[in-house]
Amino acid sequence: MNELALLHNSLLIGALLFGLGMAGFLARRNMIIMFLCAEMMLQGIAVSLIAWGRYHNDWGGQMLVIMILTVAACEAGLALALIVMLYQRTGRLDIAAWSEIREESLPAYQDVELDEFTAETQVWPKLTTAGVLPDVDPSVDEPGGHRGQL
Amino acid sequence: MNALLIAVPALPLAGALFVALTGWKLRGLSHWPIVLTIAASFLCSLGVLNHVREEVAKNQALADSDPAKTVGFEMVAPIWTWLDIPDAYQSNQPLNTPGGKTVTTAPLHIDVVLRADALTAIMLCMVTFISTLVAIYAAGYMHGDRSYWRFFVYIGLFVFSMTMLVSVSNFVLLFCFWEAVGACSYLLIGFWYQKPEAAAAGKKALLVNRVGDFGLALALFLIWTNYGTLDYHDPVEGGQSVVAGVLGQTRLANPDLFVHGGVAVAICALLFVGCCGKSAQFPLHVWLPDAMEGPTPVSALIHAATMVTAGVYLVTRCTPLFMAAGAEPLFMVGDSPFTAQMLVAVIGGFTALLAGLIALTQTDLKRVLAYSTVSQLGYMFLALGTGSSLGIVAGMFHLFTHAFFKALLFLGSGSVMHAMGHVIDMRQFSGLRKIMPITHATFLIGCLALAGLFPFAGFWSKDEILASLHERSHAHPVATEQAALQIDSSKQASIDRDGYQHVALLSEETPHKHPHAAHNPAFDTTFSHGLYGFLYYLAVGCAGLTAFYTFRAFYMTFYGELKVPAAAGDHAHESPASMTTPLVVLAVCAVFVGMVFGFPTHAFSDLLTQTPSLAYKTIADTAVEPEFHVDVAFWGTVVALIGIALASYLYLGDRKEAAAIAKASGPLYDLSLGKFFIDQLYLVVFVFPLLVLAYLCYAVDRFLIDGAVNTVGAIPVAAGKTMRLLQNGMVQFYALAMVLGLIVLVWGIAIYGS
Repeated sequence: MNELALLHNSLLIGALLFGLGMAGFLARRNMIIMFLCAEMMLQGIAVSLIAWGRYHNDWGGQMLVIMILTVAACEAGLALALIVMLYQRTGRLDIAAWSEIREESLPAYQDVELDEFTAETQVWPKLTTAGVLPDVDPSVDEPGGHRGQL
Repeated sequence: MNALLIAVPALPLAGALFVALTGWKLRGLSHWPIVLTIAASFLCSLGVLNHVREEVAKNQALADSDPAKTVGFEMVAPIWTWLDIPDAYQSNQPLNTPGGKTVTTAPLHIDVVLRADALTAIMLCMVTFISTLVAIYAAGYMHGDRSYWRFFVYIGLFVFSMTMLVSVSNFVLLFCFWEAVGACSYLLIGFWYQKPEAAAAGKKALLVNRVGDFGLALALFLIWTNYGTLDYHDPVEGGQSVVAGVLGQTRLANPDLFVHGGVAVAICALLFVGCCGKSAQFPLHVWLPDAMEGPTPVSALIHAATMVTAGVYLVTRCTPLFMAAGAEPLFMVGDSPFTAQMLVAVIGGFTALLAGLIALTQTDLKRVLAYSTVSQLGYMFLALGTGSSLGIVAGMFHLFTHAFFKALLFLGSGSVMHAMGHVIDMRQFSGLRKIMPITHATFLIGCLALAGLFPFAGFWSKDEILASLHERSHAHPVATEQAALQIDSSKQASIDRDGYQHVALLSEETPHKHPHAAHNPAFDTTFSHGLYGFLYYLAVGCAGLTAFYTFRAFYMTFYGELKVPAAAGDHAHESPASMTTPLVVLAVCAVFVGMVFGFPTHAFSDLLTQTPSLAYKTIADTAVEPEFHVDVAFWGTVVALIGIALASYLYLGDRKEAAAIAKASGPLYDLSLGKFFIDQLYLVVFVFPLLVLAYLCYAVDRFLIDGAVNTVGAIPVAAGKTMRLLQNGMVQFYALAMVLGLIVLVWGIAIYGS
C-alpha cells in the first residue's frame, strides 16, 4: 500500500469518525451520549493528524494527538462532573431540560409524546417468561417506564 | 459730568432690574421705582444738556479765534472695553489716524463708550421726559392688570435701551441697542400675549424689523471693511495708533477722509434700509399699525414718540456719510444722478402721502394715529433727504415736537379707550366731550399741533420742513453736489456708473478743488430742483391730509350726540388724575415747545448745529441765514385750514356727504380703507411662499431627515427581532448553527481561498 492510499484511507476513517460524532452530537439529547460524540469527533481529528504526520514524515502530528488526548482527558473529567451536577439538579440527563438561556418571548421546547412511549396504546407481546425478571424498583413511577430515562 | 451721562441709562436699568426681582411682591406699587428712576434720569439728561450747552458756547468762542480747532462739541465717557482684537483689520489702503499718520492695520476695538453731543443730549431729554409722563400715565392706565409689574420692567428696559441707543459711540453697540429697543417693542406689543392678535402683531413687528436690521448689519459690515473702525469718535487713548473714528473730529475736520464713491452710496442706502424698518417707512411700514395691539402707553412711548424715531436719529447722526456719498448716483435719471439722499427724501415723501391717504378712512382711533405717525416720520425723512443744514435741523425739530403732540394724542386716545371699556372703534362712540372734558381739551390741542396751526408746536416744525424743501427746490446747488463735482472734475476719467472704483478715492490724495463748480457743464440741477419741487408740493398736500384726518378722528370721537358702547358699562367717565396730569403737561408742551425752541428763538437749531456731525464744513456750508418764509407758512397754514374746514363740514353735525363721497369714490375709497392692500400683497408675495417653503422644510425634516435617522435606528431593532428567534435555548440548534457556519466557511475557503 503506497503512502498516498494510506493517507486517503486514514483521512476517510478520520472524516467518518468526525461525521458520525457530529451527527450524534446534533441528534442525541442525552448529555453523556453527546459527550461521547464530541470525543468521537476528537478522535476523528486525531486520526487525520496521525495520517498527515505519517504522510509528511513528521512527528508533529503524533505530538499533537498526544496533546489532544491529554486535553480530552481533562475535558472528560470536567464534562462528566458537570453532567453529574446537572443530573442532580433535575434527575434527568436530557439536555432539553436546560433551555432557560433562551429569549424570554420564545416558548420552551415541548417534547412530542410519541405513541411508542404511551403504555395504553402499546401492546406488548404475550410471551412466557424467559430468564430472571429485571429488578425494577416499583417506587419509581415514571411515564414510559424505565426506558423514559434514556 | 461723565457720571451724569452714565446715570441717564443706568438709572432706568437699575429700576427695571429692581422691579424685575421684587415685582411679584410690589405688585400695585411696581410703577414707583420705574417712575422715580426715569424721572431722575430725566433730571440727569437736563444736566447733560446744560453741560453741552455751556461747552458749546465756550467752544464757539474758541472756534471764532481758531476756526480749524474743533468741529462742534462732544463729551466722551468710556466705561468698559468689551472687545479688543489686535490687527483684526488689515488693508492695502492706508487708514488715517487721529494723529495724522496712516496705518494699514487696525484693532477691532469695541469700547462701551457713552458720548454726548447736542443731538444726543436733545434726544436724551426728549426720551426721558416723554417716558416719565408715559410711566405716570401707565400707572393709571394699567391699573389692575394681571402683569402690572412686568409692564413696568419692560418700560424701564426700554428707556435704558433707548437712552443707550442715542448715546453710545460705536456702530456695533448702536446695533445692539437698536435690537434691544426692538426686543422691548416686541415684548410690549405682545404684552397681552394670550390675545392671538397681540401675539401675531408682536411677531410681525419683529419679522418686518429683521428685514431692516439686515440692511443695517450689511451697512455696518461695509463701514468696517472701508473705514477699519466702528467708533464714532476718535479714540482717546494716547500714544496708541488707532484709526480715526467714522464720525470723529479727524474726518470732520478734513471731509476728504470720508470714504466716497459707490461704497459710500451703498453704506447710506443700506443704513436707510435699517431706518426704514425701525421708523416704519414704505415698504416696511406694515408693522406699525399692527403694533397698536400693545397697551396704549406703549403706543405713545415706543411707537410714536421715541423708538420709531431712531431711524431719523441714525440718518441725522450719519449725515457726514450721506454727504460723502454726495452726488454719486444710486442710478441715473437721464443724465442726472439719483442720490442716496434723494432716496431718503422720495421714500419719506411717498410714505407720508401713502400713510396720509390710508389714515383718511380708518375707523380705529389708534390706527388713524398710527398711520399719522408713519406719515409724520415720512415727513421727517423728507426733510433729512434735502441734505441741507436747514432740512436736517427741520427733520430733527419735527421729531422733537412730534414726540410731544403725538404722545399727547396717543395718551388721549388711551384715555378714551380706558373710559370706553377698551373699545377704540370710532363708530361705536361719539360726543365724548361732555363726559371727558380734560381729554377733549388736550386732544384738541394735540390735533391743532399735528395739523400744524399757528402757534402750536407742529406749525413751526412743519414750516421748517416745507421751507427746507422749498429752499432746495430752487436754490443754488448745495454742498453735496459741489463736493461731488469736485470729485467729478478731478477724476473725470474714472467716473462711471458703477462706483466701485471710487472706494477710498479721496483718502489717497486730496484732489485739487475746482472753486467754481458751477462751471462744470456736466452738472445739471434741473432734475434735483424738479424732484424737490415736486416733493415740496407733495408735502404741502400731506399737510392738508394730516389736518383732515386728524380732525375727522377728533370730531368722530368727541362731537355729535353722546354715544357710549355697551362695553363701557357705567365706566364712562373722565380718567383718573394720574392719566390726565400727563395729558395736561404734554398739552402745554404741544402749545409752547415750537415757540420756545423753534424759529422765534432758534434755540433748537443753534444747539443742534453744534453737533459734530452737523457742524463740519460740508454741511455747515449749506446753512442759510434763517428766514421766515411768509409764503411757505401761508400756504402750509391755508392747506391745513382747508383740511380742517373740510373735516368740520363733513363730520361736524349730522351730515350724509361723507358717506356719499365714500360711495362716489368707489374703488379709491376701498383702496384707502384696505390700506392699499399692501398687507395682502405681502401675504401673497412673501408670506405665502415662505409658508410653503416652511412646510416644505418641515416635510423634508420630518420625513426625509427624520425618516433616514429613524431607519438607521430601526435596522438594529429589526435585525435583533429576527435574530432573537434563533436564541431558542436548544443546545443542538446552536451546535447545528456552528456546523452550518463551519460548512459555509470551509466551502468559501475551498472556492475563493488560495
